[in-house]
Amino acid sequence: MLFIHDTSCISPQLSFGDVDLQLLQPVVNRRLMAKEPDYKGIPPGILRRMGKAVRMGVGAAVPLLQRAGIPEGIILGTAIGGMEDCIKFLNQIIEYDEGMLTPGNFVQSTTNAVAAQIGLMNKNTGYNITHVHRGLAFEMALLDTFMKAEEQPDALWLTGAVDEISSYNYNIERLGGWYKEEIVSNEDLYNSGTKGTLAGEGAAMFLLSGIKQNAFAKIVAVETIHTDDAGFVAERWNRFLENNPSDLIISGDNGDSRLNQYYAHLIPDPNNGTDLVRFKHLCGEYPTASSFATWLACYILQGQPVPGSLYQFPAKNPGYKSISIINNYKGQQHSFINLSCP
Amino acid sequence: MEKEALKLQLKQQIVKFLNLVSTKPEDIKDDEPLFGDGLGLDSIDSLELIVLLQREYGININDPKEGRKILVDINTMVDFIEKNRTK
Repeated sequence: MLFIHDTSCISPQLSFGDVDLQLLQPVVNRRLMAKEPDYKGIPPGILRRMGKAVRMGVGAAVPLLQRAGIPEGIILGTAIGGMEDCIKFLNQIIEYDEGMLTPGNFVQSTTNAVAAQIGLMNKNTGYNITHVHRGLAFEMALLDTFMKAEEQPDALWLTGAVDEISSYNYNIERLGGWYKEEIVSNEDLYNSGTKGTLAGEGAAMFLLSGIKQNAFAKIVAVETIHTDDAGFVAERWNRFLENNPSDLIISGDNGDSRLNQYYAHLIPDPNNGTDLVRFKHLCGEYPTASSFATWLACYILQGQPVPGSLYQFPAKNPGYKSISIINNYKGQQHSFINLSCP
Repeated sequence: MEKEALKLQLKQQIVKFLNLVSTKPEDIKDDEPLFGDGLGLDSIDSLELIVLLQREYGININDPKEGRKILVDINTMVDFIEKNRTK
């Protein structure tokens, strides 16, 4: 059991600082770009070297560390890390004919740069690891934290995930057919009936421990599956719900008509009290988007109102105490996460 | 190139290479220390400046002791560039 003591999220919505999810931030050029704050907690000399992924990751972590001090360790998930800086560095190799290269872009481009930078800024020499399992990177970070919390229940862990939209990965993914060709608004994402989705990005951070005291939520279970068999996913999901009864389901439906099959079994039974919400019109699709859903679940479990735009069907049972998230990335990597009040 | 024009060009290149987002080229004084209390650059920036000299002016600095004398302020850098540039 992992208890959640604090959260922070930088996303395309107003999720950082004064949260306002009622005011939907629109898609621009098929992308949901993060609303980056002023990053007042990051020294300007360090901030100017940071690529976007590092900025967002560190920026989301800073308020938690300011409130809680130095954690026992830092456990992050990211699929692509600082891809924009990586491409800048590779372009320099070509431009300067493999000559003398500047270190900045390379240092910032590695996937572990975010966790490393957080550790350096806080002089944290503890456990520092970055999981890079594409669409399950955040879930792997959570599972790692589960194991660490079993070993040291009293310790506090900074766990989270970050991924950015870079022009390189956006173009490659678009050529691969993963983003919509037509212009689609947030509100119309789920009704488009076409393949592809909206590109997204963001960073979500959590302070976790094995201690219930002062926690506002807990992560009860995390399950991951690699498969393209929708029937198998449905079977495992039903078993997950039997073990973790939930009054709200957060679905990772991203409006891609090819992936509807993985969410078709979610249509709620009108006789039970379970509600269903979707979130990808808020944050877009990215490999660690389930971290945004986890932040959203925390927000809801703290009694905050669920925006009407999230509900797939009219709400029956607000005042949720147990929430399960189902997500998949590119129809191959599936995850289930259950959270509840402590 | 006139010395003053070279100074302005160098300041523009420093702002661009080091991504000094809150500094304008004209804000950098010719005799302001680049490191420490002046512009506040650090050791990673010194590497960036050495690469800048190589790429933009064809100057190689192989001896770190030599670098310390050159990367003091805009005046010392411009003097060195004028004497040693190959492009």
